[in-house]
Amino acid sequence: MFSKPDSTLVIVGHGSTLNPDSSGPTWEHADAIAQSGAFGEVHCAFWKEEPSLRQVLHCVTKREVYVVPNFISEGYFTQTVIPRELGLDGPQTNVAGRTVKYCAPVGSHARMTDLLLKRAAAVAPGVPPKETSLFIVGHGTGLNDNSAVAAKREVERIRALGIFGEVIAAYMEEDPLIAKWDELSTQPNVVVVPFFIADGLHSYEDIPVLLGIADSSPGAASANAAGVFAQNPYRLRGRMLFYANSIGTEAGFAEVILDQVAAFDAAAA
Amino acid sequence: MMDTNAALADWLDKGGRRIGQIVIAKKNDGWELRHADDAAREDLHLFTKSADARPLANLDDAGAYRALKTAPNLRHGWRLVLPDVASVRSALDAFYPAMIGVQLARERGELVPVNLRDTLARQTGMYRVTQRLTDAEAQVLIARSCCSDGGCLKTILWRISPELPVNSLPAEKFTARGGDEWPLLCHEACNILVAAARKVVKGDTKEG
Ligand code: SF4
Repeated sequence: MFSKPDSTLVIVGHGSTLNPDSSGPTWEHADAIAQSGAFGEVHCAFWKEEPSLRQVLHCVTKREVYVVPNFISEGYFTQTVIPRELGLDGPQTNVAGRTVKYCAPVGSHARMTDLLLKRAAAVAPGVPPKETSLFIVGHGTGLNDNSAVAAKREVERIRALGIFGEVIAAYMEEDPLIAKWDELSTQPNVVVVPFFIADGLHSYEDIPVLLGIADSSPGAASANAAGVFAQNPYRLRGRMLFYANSIGTEAGFAEVILDQVAAFDAAAA
Repeated sequence: MMDTNAALADWLDKGGRRIGQIVIAKKNDGWELRHADDAAREDLHLFTKSADARPLANLDDAGAYRALKTAPNLRHGWRLVLPDVASVRSALDAFYPAMIGVQLARERGELVPVNLRDTLARQTGMYRVTQRLTDAEAQVLIARSCCSDGGCLKTILWRISPELPVNSLPAEKFTARGGDEWPLLCHEACNILVAAARKVVKGDTKEG
């Protein structure tokens, strides 16, 4: 088993000033790892919440610190914001007497593919994959455009496995648009997995509205946030539609965080 | 490096009893945390796990999300009974994130305050415009966002720039608590203040 009693793990999330859902999964993965005893201590840090990236190193009591971004892709936050706020200048940096080892973000680990497959199977039990179109939905615009690249990469990997009838990357705000899911897919069953780190406005409200499974009046879907997942399957536009929680709520993320630490060590060895 | 739980145990042994809006009492079966306003209440909902602290800290009395955990709007009506110092520490880390660690860093002489101009100068992307915040705007913004009465309970350790202290808040705002009260310290402007500075520069008058 993974054991680093003399090291600290810091899991970095984006966080939100609007709701607690954004940081929820990051805390859950941290709690699971802390309980496993894999590290001497485990902390979270956030861009928009506390502990902040500027505070967290003061809470660390070990000399060796692994930092794993709980982000879907490499991008502005992992390449600019997190290193800047923590004072990092490369994969390994000495910060005030601590050795900080900066790992790759969770979403770029190869095991993400397994988690997506697991989530897809769980949301549509007993549904034949060969007769299913699987959608991986990314945001797809703005600062973090690498999330679209990451979604495409996962789609290619899953497609290559030949399990599903078809596998399609779609986005909220750029082509191919998830709103056109029925035109983009051909199979009788449709599984939609949001490729996001947490449930929140996008998965509770925006995507359900785009799919046509929630009322578009503002706040209507959020008021019934969890309900949108409880009502699977949706019979809509001549198909059976299954809508999953954001991939980041998958408990297996905790293991992928540890995998990124192991990958850092392997690369440094 | 000093063990954090040992440092907290030491403070509690010496009579430490208050952090932010929370009072801590020694009980036969461990420690009890509650809102200071609820000191005399008998009708409090009992919680017994340090993991209960985060949901308690997340929402105010009206059920609104508390993005800033040092805002003076901690919810009422609960008491949290915990068996040992380690669980008190993890509960306090949820109620007042990083505040144990930041104070211990200060005691070790490792806490370096960062002036607002340096914090803003570091920003990139959508927050880069905050560099255009004028000194006068900064004073007004800080008075509104950081005031202990309605804004934030932390003690400010930074200045606007080396030559310019914050002069729009009373002197107590810059003096850390001590004795039986654990200090809540702001050694560098938080992202909420930086985001508010962006709104000022952008001329966005909406609250938030
Ligand atoms: S800048 Fe500091 S004092 Fe002001 S609101 Fe943020 S944390 Fe509180």
